[in-house]
Amino acid sequence: MKKRYILNYDDNQHGAIVARDGAETMVQVDGGDLTQVNFRPVLNGKAISIRFGGRLHLIHLSNADGNGSVKATISGRPVSLTVMDELRAQALESLGDVTESGTIAADIPGLVVQIKVTVGQVVHKGEPVIVVEAMKMQNELAASTSGTVIEIPVTEGDSVNPGDPLVIIEPEPGV
Amino acid sequence: MATSKTNRKFDKVLVANRGEIAVRIIQGLKEMGLGTVAVYSEADRTALHVLMADEAVFIGESPATESYLVADRILAAAAETAAGAIHPGYGFLAENGPFSRQVEEAGLIFIGPTAESMEVMGDKLASRRKMRSSGIPVVPGTDEAVTDPEVAVGIAEKIGYPVLLKASAGGGGKGMRIVRESGEMASALRQTMGEARSAFGNDAIFVEKYIEDPKHIEVQVLGDGLGNVIHVFERECSVQRRHQKVIEESPSPSLTPELRMRICEAAVQTAEAIDYRGAGTVEFILAPDGEFYFLEMNTRLQVEHPVTEMVTGTDLVHAMVKIALGEGICYRQEDLRQQGWALEFRLYAEDPGKNFAPSIGRIESMTVPQGPGVRLDTGVYEGYDVPIHYDPMLAKLIVWGEDRQQAIARSRRVLREFTLHGPGHNLPFHLWALEQPSFLDGSYTTHFVENEFDPADWLPKLDDGQAEALVAATALFEALRRSGVKAGTEGRDCSPRNWRLNALRSMTGNK
Repeated sequence: MKKRYILNYDDNQHGAIVARDGAETMVQVDGGDLTQVNFRPVLNGKAISIRFGGRLHLIHLSNADGNGSVKATISGRPVSLTVMDELRAQALESLGDVTESGTIAADIPGLVVQIKVTVGQVVHKGEPVIVVEAMKMQNELAASTSGTVIEIPVTEGDSVNPGDPLVIIEPEPGV
Repeated sequence: MATSKTNRKFDKVLVANRGEIAVRIIQGLKEMGLGTVAVYSEADRTALHVLMADEAVFIGESPATESYLVADRILAAAAETAAGAIHPGYGFLAENGPFSRQVEEAGLIFIGPTAESMEVMGDKLASRRKMRSSGIPVVPGTDEAVTDPEVAVGIAEKIGYPVLLKASAGGGGKGMRIVRESGEMASALRQTMGEARSAFGNDAIFVEKYIEDPKHIEVQVLGDGLGNVIHVFERECSVQRRHQKVIEESPSPSLTPELRMRICEAAVQTAEAIDYRGAGTVEFILAPDGEFYFLEMNTRLQVEHPVTEMVTGTDLVHAMVKIALGEGICYRQEDLRQQGWALEFRLYAEDPGKNFAPSIGRIESMTVPQGPGVRLDTGVYEGYDVPIHYDPMLAKLIVWGEDRQQAIARSRRVLREFTLHGPGHNLPFHLWALEQPSFLDGSYTTHFVENEFDPADWLPKLDDGQAEALVAATALFEALRRSGVKAGTEGRDCSPRNWRLNALRSMTGNK
């Protein structure tokens, strides 16, 4: 059984092949040799101990969303990765470039303290549009694209959760 | 002010705080055989301090203004549980004079200073005048409001440029402006007054000498409230972001033995001037020329108190409780000495690469390093949801070594072993700091982060072997997880336990 994966982190893309044959596990990274690896899940399943390239590494891994987002820590260095199997990666690629989304969404739960724009207003990319307060800190969220504000689904004083749309902008690249 | 030794007994203490400091205080109280009462808000029902206390009382909704800051709720909780004393921790009501008065009026003991001490030290100008009259060095300048540029130029020429124009009602870095020569004075004064008027409704401006490249040195003191004060040496806290400390150490790498003696003596004098009771911290600015100036006194237990405990072998929570019990100061000055070196790293749920913006979420996994010289004061645990309502500090990692070099080497080891998945955090920031030449040679100032930190290039680098191993491990992790799901588990259950079982099954034979 052979699986191909595309992994992305820090603007780097890597390919990996995982092959299993009975008790043996083989891995190939970025077109290198397909080599047998010794590894084992440790620390109650929170980490993998892996011997690779002649060295032993302890890598903490957790699946952030159950859907290909993986958080890893190696030697104190946290890394966020996305993992896709090759088929999915190809499918996404064939969709072509996606237009930049005009929806500004909450990234952490908080309280909407100030809305700086109104529906119909023309905004420029980077312009502050809304202020959300969390943990005694006011976070100014900026327009992700230039365009016209078409909807503001929240009002000042609302509690919001990650992913909640706050300001929706119809992108107009020429603005 | 002198309290008799007979009526200050208690056997149960309410801790009017949350997070790691509430946990730390509860631990200290338990060690002394005292009963412990926690208070909690809606968001803190399953917080660690609540789980650890003997009793816990619900005091209100999640915002601190409806719970931890409501004096009446805290007093009602104390009455309900028959607690005899209240420890305020830091923040919230810790330096609130009226609250401590209310506590004492309710017949309870406030484990901290008197309201009078808090009020003198809480007012920047009053404390400045008090210190000046007590012979403590304060930053040269004037205590009188200035509106006339010519008067301001006169003062600036006397104390020497650069000077700082400061709104008397200001705070948090607002309403301040540096003036480097007389030509800039008129417009700078006009602008600062305008800013002060609109921000604080008060345009009183003071002129102070601007200390370039300052270091933040503070001295721990203990007083019995009867005029006896000792110091427990200094801490240096110059690594700051947004005027908030991130790394602290003791001893300070910036003091000679002679300077250390003088600054500690000044701190003792400061506390003596107000017959200070309990644990307090006197903060100083240290200028590059070795002159130091009184900044302010914090009339509470400080966040960074553990570095002092690690190098002096003291327990400041025990000491505070004993003072509150009327037993006086449990250490003698001549017995105290600094042994070795301690560093404290504040663990914040924040993203250093995004201007240190706070982050929240569930602590998915946490591996806490151990070994010699390691202490973790924490308010969180695996599975805990970090709430949005409070300060994003999760824990403090304190590392001790025989000397500064060993403490730094050990800190690197410990920070590399420490793993936290869930909210973004600043553990790698600390690893970054420990590689900076100005930190390593001790010359860093309070401008360290703004001068040295590049948000685009600060994460520790992975070498090629690590990067390859990471890709291989992640691919394996994903392959195992997916095969686990396919193996007939319901829905998208991919909990680590499940994953592990599948992994172990499929990996039999691996060493």
